[in-house]
Amino acid sequence: MEALEMYTVDRTSDVYTEELRLNLGPQHPSTHGVLRVELQMDGEIITAARSDIGYLHRCAEKIGENVTYLQYTPYTDRMDYLASMNNNLAWSLTVEKLLDIEAPERSQWIRVLVVELNRIASHLIAFGTYGIDLGANTPFFYAFRERESIMALLEKISGARMLYNFIRPGGVANDIDDAWMDEVLAFCDDFDKRWDEYNRILTNNHIFIKRTANIGILTKEMALAYGCTGPVLRASGVKWDLRRDIPYLKPYDEIEFDVPVGMGTHGTLGDCWDRYWVRMREMRECTSIIRQAIAAIPDGVHMEKKMERMYKTPLTPEPGEAYMRCENPRGELAFYAVSEGGKSPIRCRARAPSFCNLSVLDKLLPGTMLADGVAVIGSLDIVLGEVDR
Amino acid sequence: MNESEIISRMREAGLGGVGELDTSAADPFVVIEADSLRAAMLFLRDDEACAMEMMHCVTATERKASIEVVYHLCSYEHHHSLTVKVICERPEGGTHDNWRPAVPTVADIYAAANWHEREQYDLLGVIFTDHPDFRRILLPQEWIGHPLRKDYIYPSEHGGIPLELDAIPLYMEGGEEAVAAKKAERPAGEPLNQPPSKYSARPDAGGKAPESSEGKVNNSRDSAH
Repeated sequence: MEALEMYTVDRTSDVYTEELRLNLGPQHPSTHGVLRVELQMDGEIITAARSDIGYLHRCAEKIGENVTYLQYTPYTDRMDYLASMNNNLAWSLTVEKLLDIEAPERSQWIRVLVVELNRIASHLIAFGTYGIDLGANTPFFYAFRERESIMALLEKISGARMLYNFIRPGGVANDIDDAWMDEVLAFCDDFDKRWDEYNRILTNNHIFIKRTANIGILTKEMALAYGCTGPVLRASGVKWDLRRDIPYLKPYDEIEFDVPVGMGTHGTLGDCWDRYWVRMREMRECTSIIRQAIAAIPDGVHMEKKMERMYKTPLTPEPGEAYMRCENPRGELAFYAVSEGGKSPIRCRARAPSFCNLSVLDKLLPGTMLADGVAVIGSLDIVLGEVDR
Repeated sequence: MNESEIISRMREAGLGGVGELDTSAADPFVVIEADSLRAAMLFLRDDEACAMEMMHCVTATERKASIEVVYHLCSYEHHHSLTVKVICERPEGGTHDNWRPAVPTVADIYAAANWHEREQYDLLGVIFTDHPDFRRILLPQEWIGHPLRKDYIYPSEHGGIPLELDAIPLYMEGGEEAVAAKKAERPAGEPLNQPPSKYSARPDAGGKAPESSEGKVNNSRDSAH
């Protein structure tokens, strides 16, 4: 493992044991999928780490070059399968940018609604599985109870529980009604109460704080250099959220919301606890966004009439290229589509947030204990479906 | 600053090889010569007015006459972004088998580029010279070829197991009837839209290696065990 920064053990004071090469994964519950991390251990301390990805490579970019623009939307579902709505949105916006069209206003508000609901569901998984990683099993069941409600809500409008294919170029697949929005409001009220429960059970738990504070410290400079985005970047103290700074949907311009950043409450800025706490506070912002969106949603059509006709024949955008960035639960997802006037793009690149967030892992692990390494991986909240595509 | 201001600032600083801003696409981009790429990237990162602290994405795109390496940069401080392209012209008769375009690496300038460049090498065979850890990232180290190249041929077997390639084109002129007709004329065991190749994905595991030396990738990881 040359070319890696090695953590040197102090041979005079530390107990010296023989070095060991250890494989964490690919079949290990704490790696959240099929990630293999090759570790060099000195006793309990990790001296070098190298992550090995690609076990879930499904040729998503190659497929993109062989299907039409609309046929690719369901494939984006399967990248970050915990936040399918957000992926659909990013791809739809890319195609819309390429076609130089804009979705009707009502559909933009519906998009905000479903995307924020999905963001809560995604952060709930991060919260629940992080508890399991650190030996707390109960929060997982709490998280899945609320996630189940969100999945039921989204199933009502899209027909699918996880892989929605709901947001499409030109608008959304179905319109929503007032009864559904009332249910969403009821869920939000319920969720805010549950959120306090989560904090009682995990956030302020003494053992949990001891396991996460001052562990895996990611400095602001390092986060920027490695291209970390989303909660991982914000936990390092960078107040940046695409929804606020470059609003890619009109409603984000009109809705008031706060961007939580890490503060180093229990340890150092950018440690595992900060990353966890940024996600937790983001969930509260999501419910606030949803309430404002429901209050302000205008009447209108959910899908551009012109687009509906275009659905009958494949779209053929003018030659050109579009790069579209979106704020996903895990960071900035970007699609880069290059058209040469044909029915499918000649290049269909996905810049996955988990891919970039994971690349910093090799630098974070050296010097930590093995058990803390699990805490670091969990705090990055990666989805391997998106890393490998 | 907008893109044209950034480019004029680069010119003022005396950077050579910086082309004109192309505004024909939805995202304007600037073409930079491969030789001056590293100097330009260093300038974009360190200059106070540019302050592009984030390498957002590195993409290689194969076109008919060239392979473009596209760098998407952005600045959180100033809320601006820039798309930089390096164009590698296709030599006469340059194909998947014999042409690997080379571009200097920027992995030491932007750490984020490290994995992105490895991925673009893996899928499109672009060589990033002086990269600190130049290996495949998604595919197995012993894989032959770069699948995102347009003239890539699917392997006919993997590890000695023949691959039953049933690649149905999802869209064909003439609709479903055309697809059905194409399927009917297909002999059993033969892929639909690709000629069967004589290559194997993994010659180490008993398959047939192609004649080019591409398969003999130096697999440093295995030798370390």
